[in-house]
Amino acid sequence: MWQAAGPATGKEKDRVLSTANTQALPISVSHVTKTYGAVHALDDVSLEIESGEFLTLLGPSGSGKTTLLMVLAGFTRPDHGSLKFGDREVIRTPPHLRDVGMTFQSYALFPHMSVAGNVGYPLRLRNVPKAEIAERVAGALETVQLGGFGERRIDQLSGGQRQRVAVARAIVFEPRILLMDEPLSALDKKLRDQMQIELRSLHEKLGMTTVYVTHDQREALTMSDRIAVVNHGRIMQLATPRDLYEKPANRFVADFIGDSTFLPVTRRGQQIVFEDQPLNHAAPAPEAPSLLLMARPERIHLLTGTPQERMNTFEAVAQQVIYQGDSYLLNAQLHNGEIMSLRGAVRQGTVDGLPSEGDRIRLGLAPEDTVIIDGRES
Amino acid sequence: MQAADTPQRSYETPVPSGMNAAGLRRDARLERLKLFGLSSPALLLVLVILVIPVGWLFYVSFIGANGQFSLENYERMITRKSYARIFVTTFQVSLLTTGLCILIGYPLAYFLSQLPSRLASLCLITVLLPFWTSLLVRTYAWLVLLQKRGLVNDWGISLGLWEEPIKMVHNMTGTLIGMVHIMLPFLILPLYSTMKSINRDYMNAAANLGASPRRAFWNVFFPLSTPGLFAGSLMVFILCLGFFVTPAVLGGGRVIMVSMQIVSNIELFVNWGAASALGVVLLVLTMAILWIASRFLRLDQIAGGGH
Amino acid sequence: MKRLTILTVAAGLLATTALAQEKRVTIASWGGSYQEAQSKALFQPAAANTGIEVKEESYGGMSDVRLQVSSGQVTLDIVASGSGSAARAAAEGLLEELDYSIIDVSDFYPGLYTDHCVGGDVFSTVYAWNTETYGADGPQSWADFWDVEKFPGSRAYRGTVAGALEPALMADGVAPEDVYDVLGSEEGIERALNKIRELRPHIAVFWTSGAQHAQLMKDGEVDMTTGWNGRFDNAAKDGAQVAYSFNQALLDYDCFAIPKGAPNKDTAMAFLAEISKPEYQDDLPTYITYGPTNKAAYETGVIDAEVAAGLPSSPENAALQLPVSLAWYAEWETTAAEMYQEMLTE
Repeated sequence: MWQAAGPATGKEKDRVLSTANTQALPISVSHVTKTYGAVHALDDVSLEIESGEFLTLLGPSGSGKTTLLMVLAGFTRPDHGSLKFGDREVIRTPPHLRDVGMTFQSYALFPHMSVAGNVGYPLRLRNVPKAEIAERVAGALETVQLGGFGERRIDQLSGGQRQRVAVARAIVFEPRILLMDEPLSALDKKLRDQMQIELRSLHEKLGMTTVYVTHDQREALTMSDRIAVVNHGRIMQLATPRDLYEKPANRFVADFIGDSTFLPVTRRGQQIVFEDQPLNHAAPAPEAPSLLLMARPERIHLLTGTPQERMNTFEAVAQQVIYQGDSYLLNAQLHNGEIMSLRGAVRQGTVDGLPSEGDRIRLGLAPEDTVIIDGRES
Repeated sequence: MQAADTPQRSYETPVPSGMNAAGLRRDARLERLKLFGLSSPALLLVLVILVIPVGWLFYVSFIGANGQFSLENYERMITRKSYARIFVTTFQVSLLTTGLCILIGYPLAYFLSQLPSRLASLCLITVLLPFWTSLLVRTYAWLVLLQKRGLVNDWGISLGLWEEPIKMVHNMTGTLIGMVHIMLPFLILPLYSTMKSINRDYMNAAANLGASPRRAFWNVFFPLSTPGLFAGSLMVFILCLGFFVTPAVLGGGRVIMVSMQIVSNIELFVNWGAASALGVVLLVLTMAILWIASRFLRLDQIAGGGH
Repeated sequence: MKRLTILTVAAGLLATTALAQEKRVTIASWGGSYQEAQSKALFQPAAANTGIEVKEESYGGMSDVRLQVSSGQVTLDIVASGSGSAARAAAEGLLEELDYSIIDVSDFYPGLYTDHCVGGDVFSTVYAWNTETYGADGPQSWADFWDVEKFPGSRAYRGTVAGALEPALMADGVAPEDVYDVLGSEEGIERALNKIRELRPHIAVFWTSGAQHAQLMKDGEVDMTTGWNGRFDNAAKDGAQVAYSFNQALLDYDCFAIPKGAPNKDTAMAFLAEISKPEYQDDLPTYITYGPTNKAAYETGVIDAEVAAGLPSSPENAALQLPVSLAWYAEWETTAAEMYQEMLTE
């Protein structure tokens, strides 16, 4: 029926999904704890998510990120704590009254309904008139670039198409909060990359508060306004992608996101020293019993001439060079035996000019890239 | 596609075209033959235990009392009203049993499918327990329980629930109780496995989209469980059609089903034809139901797809 | 010399083999306590006395014989059968004619042997009642069985036509000796069926086996039933509150027949002659309360007066009863059975 209306124009789309923009809701999680026997799936989690924000819960499997999402959706009942959507306390509200959109890792598209049947389902539940359902379903499918797919059966769709239908179904009833549980994990890399951009731009267009769960750090960095790194049921760090990468709060976050070399350092008076060598660092070092120098491989320079002023230098012996297509990785051994990895872009001639195994080399690290972090595991 | 094929073919030409071709073809043929050889005992078995006896049944049903070809066995079924009544009873009992099995079995299977696996398998064993005891023993057990001075009436009266013994056996009620008890596992097993395979995410998704538990059940869970429900119901229904022992023992001679009439016809008439004709009619009716059911099922799928 | 010895030995061997072949019969009966009684009273002693080797089997009735004869693969030499089904099997040509110059039936009750089947035991189809419900003054006729005002309570009745129409006619006022005349037309059969229809609301169960009607009485499921006398005696022995009367009962018998083309027909004939003798028949009541078919069995002194008085075939009891007419069953059973089925399914 909705097909008869013809493909929706951009304006129609905006009208159909307009209300969401202005009414996104903030989420406030406070002191939420969920235990399974002796295991803390969530350990006193508190988290403020701003209205219209794209927040990613990132962590290894079993970290508690999915449990937190299930608490938000209402499928998991926590032991205690508070959950507010806007001003409304919803911790005891059953899932069907929470009015949040959600996509599932398995997509959970109803196999006995067509694409249009799936997308229209939340509207039918809300007793939206038939004609309006058709219109809004068509609009939602246009939004996810599946116009004309309404009559298809679910098993006739590819993985990427299913993902889009799941998104259309989650947004068609204009929820003010959207939850996404590893939505892209079943897709191949190329499609995943494409969908990341699409989901991000969809979020920009619709503006609903989005909580996104993934274990893929690159995906998290690409898409999020802020990322909450979760481990052992606790939030390790909540920060923007850039801060998370450049100023990890602890070794777990630094290790989980990106590659790094960690060198043990100590505080000597006002200075931070590595093997008696005082280090220049831009950000102040945290107050912690043990400290580590975190060096991102792509921030390390292979020094050939005189280093820049204040640059920290390290004497090392070159080991193997690993060719990775767009970049190379050079491993070098420091005096104390630690391996420091250096990543460089592969351009004309760069690989051929690299030192060979056993060459003595000098590595440099700028003060703003010399990040001192809390050395404890968590 | 075509354009892409043409240059490829030219690349192949340097390789001798007939290389090993005959041998490879022979291997393929041999493999097919072996496969057929492996399946032929099964085919033969089907022929011997299914096709030949059923064919014989059809043939014999057209042989009259005098040993000549005759339609008398079928004519009798038309002229004597009792045969039509027996078929009606048979279908009535089968339908009621199937319906009761669904009413009792569906909630039970649903309950089982929602239990943790270990507990569910324990409960499944109790459901399957009836399979391990003899049909006759179970049927007589119901007789002992339900008769006038049976356990149920004794307790009911001594607890003051009712005063006069209730007639629960030697009638349709008793027959249905016994048959439902015996048939229930046949419904629950396929239903349980279908329900177990329904991803929990579906119900969560429905709830998330705004469906109350009741609506989520009817809109999502129930439609997805229908293949199992249908398979189980059909199995129960077909098995009921040919049932003998339970209606014979618990029906008190007042619930007469086709299988019972087949037995009395063998004893009564001087040839096998009379009994065979009953078997043929039951077989044909059953096939017709299966055919209609399969069409219904296919229609259902299409309807479900275009929801 | 040597040659002669060999010949003699060979001839001797041949003779014994031939003898052994002749001296063997396979008997089929209905198993259970009934066949056990037959085996102990008749088959085993007769086998010991004649040297005939007996192989016992149980079988499903004349339909088995029909299958064996029609396929030409007869393995049974002697079968035990109800008198009615034997009569129909004989009419179909499934049975050998019996040679009464070998089998001595001079002391048999008249009508307890036919050209194709010789009687083995006599039983009665009686009405039995629960003595707890009615005391000792139970029904004394089929009219009483039908009288639900004088004898309120539930009934059980036979689910097949055999022995089911005669009581109805007697209850309807037909004199026992006229019963089979009246039944000799569809109208007469319909009259009997109408009488059963009248009682139908009070018939809780239509029974189909002897074990069933005995159990119904034992459990007190019904207050009154038709059935076979031996079963009620067994039930009473087990403590059931059951009594029955021979008045207006149907006197019937089981018999032995030889299937057409039996492999050891002559031995079978000799064996039947043996077990028909009074000295075997008088043992039968020891194992089951069915009477001998040979009158002389009462005179051997084995059956005492008290036991004799309880047997269906004792002269006093037999006089009270209506002997079942095989001729009527041979002619009308199929038709009557179909009409009975109509009544049952209404």
